[in-house]
Amino acid sequence: MGPHDDDLDEEIRGHLAINIKQRIERGEDPSSARLAALKEFGNVPLTRDSIRSVWRPRWFDAAEALVRDIRFGFRALSRAKGLTATVVVTLALGIGANAAIFSVVRGVLLRPLVNRDEDRLIYIRQIGPGIGVENMNFSVPEVKDLRSRVKSVGAFGEFSTVDFAMIGLSGEPRMVKAGVVDGRFFEVMGLRPVLGRLLTPNDDGPKAAGAAILTYRFWSTALNSDTSVIGKQIRLGPSPATVVGVLEPSVPYPVDTEIIANIVTSPHHLGATMETDRGHRMTELFGRLAPGATIEGARAELAAVHAATVSENPKYYSSQAHVQLTIARLRDQIAAPARTILLVLLAAAAVVFIIACSNVANLILARAVRREGELAVRAALGAGRGALRRTLLAESLVLCGAGAVLGIALARPFVALAAQFAARFSVRALEVTVDPGVLWVGSALAMAAAVLLAYVPRLPSAHAPAGLGLANGSVRITPGTNRRLRVFATTQIAFSFVLLVGAAMLLTTLVTLQTANTGYDMRKVLAFDIPPAATGVFSPNMGDFLQQATLRVGQLPGVDGAAVGSFVPWRDTGQASITLRFTVDGYTRADGEEDPRARIRFAGPRFFNVLGIKLVAGRDFADDDRQGRELVTIVSQSVAQRLFPNGEAVNGHLRVIGSTPRRVIGVVADLDDEHVERQPAMTVYLPVRQGGFAGRLFVRAAGNPYTLVPTVTRIVRDLAVDQPVERAATLEDIRADVLSPERLNAFVFSGFAGIALLIAVVGVAGVLAFSASARTREFGIRLAVGSAPRHILAGVLAEGMWIAGIGIAAGAAGGFVLVRVASKFFGAVPLPGALPVIGAMAVLAGAAVIASLMPAARAARVDVLQALRSE
Amino acid sequence: MAKNPDTQRLDLLQGTLDMLILRTLQWGPEHGHGIGQAIRAQSDDLLKVETGSLYPALHRLVKRGWLKWEWDLSEANQRAKYYRLTAAGKAQLSHEQDRWSQLVDAIGRIMNPARVAAGNPGNKD
Repeated sequence: MGPHDDDLDEEIRGHLAINIKQRIERGEDPSSARLAALKEFGNVPLTRDSIRSVWRPRWFDAAEALVRDIRFGFRALSRAKGLTATVVVTLALGIGANAAIFSVVRGVLLRPLVNRDEDRLIYIRQIGPGIGVENMNFSVPEVKDLRSRVKSVGAFGEFSTVDFAMIGLSGEPRMVKAGVVDGRFFEVMGLRPVLGRLLTPNDDGPKAAGAAILTYRFWSTALNSDTSVIGKQIRLGPSPATVVGVLEPSVPYPVDTEIIANIVTSPHHLGATMETDRGHRMTELFGRLAPGATIEGARAELAAVHAATVSENPKYYSSQAHVQLTIARLRDQIAAPARTILLVLLAAAAVVFIIACSNVANLILARAVRREGELAVRAALGAGRGALRRTLLAESLVLCGAGAVLGIALARPFVALAAQFAARFSVRALEVTVDPGVLWVGSALAMAAAVLLAYVPRLPSAHAPAGLGLANGSVRITPGTNRRLRVFATTQIAFSFVLLVGAAMLLTTLVTLQTANTGYDMRKVLAFDIPPAATGVFSPNMGDFLQQATLRVGQLPGVDGAAVGSFVPWRDTGQASITLRFTVDGYTRADGEEDPRARIRFAGPRFFNVLGIKLVAGRDFADDDRQGRELVTIVSQSVAQRLFPNGEAVNGHLRVIGSTPRRVIGVVADLDDEHVERQPAMTVYLPVRQGGFAGRLFVRAAGNPYTLVPTVTRIVRDLAVDQPVERAATLEDIRADVLSPERLNAFVFSGFAGIALLIAVVGVAGVLAFSASARTREFGIRLAVGSAPRHILAGVLAEGMWIAGIGIAAGAAGGFVLVRVASKFFGAVPLPGALPVIGAMAVLAGAAVIASLMPAARAARVDVLQALRSE
Repeated sequence: MAKNPDTQRLDLLQGTLDMLILRTLQWGPEHGHGIGQAIRAQSDDLLKVETGSLYPALHRLVKRGWLKWEWDLSEANQRAKYYRLTAAGKAQLSHEQDRWSQLVDAIGRIMNPARVAAGNPGNKD
C-alpha cells in the first residue's frame, strides 16, 4: 500500500530538478538556483513524512502518538516512585484478591462435574424440618417404594458409608472410610473406570463375591498408581473382597472414601433390619433424571410419591418431624456448604477492589492537580486537548497496566491460599487453579479504570488566561478538586469500616470459642479410636478386652488413668451421637409435652475422672457395673435438676424408652461434647458393660500426652492383633481442629480488612498531605502573624478526623442497610455487637490519626520565609 | 519573509486545494511542480501552494481514486510523476464545482445583500 520511500524521494528530486532547471533558464546561477529551489520546497523530511501519513490508516498515527506518550509516561512515573509504587501495589492487591476469589467461586460453584450428563444427576434427601434434621437418609423399604413408583427419575443409585478395618492393601490393619453401593450406582453417577471395571447389578445380592473399587486419589497416592492391584484379595472387616477396578478422578460425595465396595461386603447391609425396617435409614440416594423429565417435574413427582408413603406408614414418620423429600442437582448439592461463605468473600473482595480503585483515583487526581502548571504550559505551547488527554491516558495506562501485571502475578499464590481455605467447605476447591477468564476480566477492569482515571482531572484551557499558575507552576486547588479527593477518602473509610466490623465480629466469636470453658481437662487427655465394629467381633469377650486394655494402659508410667467411652467430644459429632427419649419415675409430663430426650453415652469405669468431669453427687461407674448386676446410670446435672424433685437424682429411677429402668448412681457436671459453642445438653451415661459398646479410649497423661501414643498402641495390639488404634489426639487439639474453619474465616476476612485498612490509611494520608502542601502559603502567613504551630498541627489532624468521622458514620449507616438487605435474602444475619463496632471505630480513628500525623507535622514545620517567598 | 510582495497572497480556504488540483488536471496530466505553478499562474500569483501541502494532497487524491500517477521523463530530463484525472476524479470535480458556486453564492448574499437584490451579479463574473 502506498509508494515506497525511494519512490517518494525520486518524486521530490524530480520536483527540485524541474524547479532548478527553470531557474537556470531564467538566468540564475546553478548553485544559487539549487539553494533557492530547496528553500522554496521547505522541509523535505517533513513533507515526506506527511505524504507517508496520507497512506497510513488513521489509527496508526494515534497509536504511534500513544506509544510515544506511554514512553513519556514511563519516564515521568520513574520520577514519582512513591506514587507509582502505591498505585501499582494497591491495584495489584485489588485485582489479585478478586482473581483468587473469582477463580474459587467459578471452580467450586459453577464448573460442571466430570460425570456424564452431570446436569441430569440429582441428589435426593429426606429431611425433618420439624426436628431440625437436614438429611435423615433413606431406609431400604423407602428406596424400594421410590424405585417402583417414580417415573421421572430413570435410575436410583444407593450409597452408604461404612468404616471397615481393611487388611491386605497398605501394611497394617487400618480403618478406611468406604462406600457400600448397589450395582446401579456407577451407571447412575455416569462414571468410568481408569483400570479394571466398576460394579454392576451382577455384584448385587447376598451370593455375589465381594468386590471393591479403589478411588483414584487413594490408588494414586497410597498405592503409587500400582496397576498390579487389580485382582488382589483384601479383607474388609470380616468379609473377603477382590479389588476389581479403579474409579476415574471425580468429586467424592457425600464422603471422601478410599474404597467403594458392593453390598455383600457389609454383613450389616444383608441383615433383616436393613432389609425390612423402614425406620433404619442409612442410605444416601442419587438419581438420574429420565429422558425428557425436568428437575421441577421430578421434584413434584417425588414429593407426591413420598407424601403417599408417609401417609401409608404413619408410625415411621413422627408427625412432629414433618418428614419431607427434597432434591437438588448434584453439583449444587456439593457446592451448597461453600456457597454462602464464598459469596461473602466475593463481596469482601469486591469491596477491597472498590477501595483500591477509589484510592488510585485519589492519587492520580492529586497528581494531575499538581501537574496543572505543566499542563498549562503545554497547552500554551500548542498541545491540543486531545494530546493532553492522551498524555494523562498514557500515564494511567502505564500505572494500571503495571498494577494488572503484578495482580496477575499475585493471583496464583492467592488462588492457592483461597483454594486451601475453600477446601474446608467443598472438596472441589482442591482442583481450583487460576481461571484465565478471570485474569482477562481483571486486566479489562484495570484498562477500564485507566481510561476512566484519565478523564477525572480537568484540563487547562489553551484560551483561558493561565496567569499565575503558568508563571510559577505552583499548585492551586479548586474547591471542586478538594471535594472530590475528600469524597474518595471518605468512601474508603466507609468501606473499610464495614470490612473491619465484619472481621472484628468473626474474631470476637473465635476468641469467645477459644477461651470458653469446656468442662474438660483438655490438655492432658488423649483420645484414641479403637473401633469395635471394625474387626467384626461384637463378641461377649469385648468387655474383657476393654477392661484388660484400660487396666494395662492405666498402669503405664506417665499415665494418670485410662478409660473407655463411646464418644470423642466434637470429633464424633454427627456420626456416633445418639439421642433417645427416656422417662423418670415420679415425673409426670405436662399436657402436650413429649418425653424428654437425652444424649446417650456409654462410659467405662473412671471415665469422668480421666476426662476431668466433675462428679457432683453419688459415685462413678465401677468394674462391677456389668451385665447381670443391678442396672445403673449416671446423669448430667441438667437431667437431675429438670426431672428429679429438688434435683436429687441419686437413687432415683430412669428408663430409656424400650429398656428396663435403671437406678441413678451419680450426677456429673453438664457438658456439651457436640458443639464448640457450649449449649445446655441433657446427657445420660450408661456403663459399657451393661449392653453398651465403646470404641474410644481416653488416656490421662502426666507429661506430654503424645509420647504415650506408641506404647498405648502396642499394648492394645498385644491384646488384639487386628485392632486398629487410630487418630490419637488431645482434646485440646481436637477442639482446635474443629474450630479451624472459624479460625480460617476470621483469618481470611481479617486479611481483607487489613488490606482495606492499609489502602484507606494511604488514601487519607495522601489527601491530607496534598491539601496541606497546597496550603503551605496559608500556613506561612498564619505562622508569620503569630499563630502557634500546634494550632496548625491540630487543624490538619482535625481535618483527618473529620474525614474519618464522616466515613465511619457513612460506613455504619451503609452496613446497617446492608445487613437489612442481606437478611431478606439469606435469612437472619446477625448485627455486630457493641464490641466489634467500637473496636473497628477505634482502629479506624487511630489509623486516621497516624495517617494525618505526617502531613500535620510537615504543615506545622513550614518555613515562614520560604512559604511567603514562593509567591 | 514578512516584507515581500507575497503579503498580498491569499490563504487557501480549507478543502479548496483538492478542488483546485482536480481543476488544474482537467487539461491533461501534469507533475507536482507544474500543478503548483499552474495554480499560481492562473490566480495571478494570488494563490501559492506550499509543497508541504501540495504533495500530501496529491497522494490523498490518489488514495481516494480520483487521480492516478505514471512515471515519465520531465523537461529536466529526469523521471517525474505525472498525475492524471480518473473518471471518478472527473465526477468529483463537477460535484465540487457545484458545491463551490453554491457556497460562493450563499456567502455573497450575506456579504453583499444590496447587490444580490439588484440582480445577482455574482454569477455573471
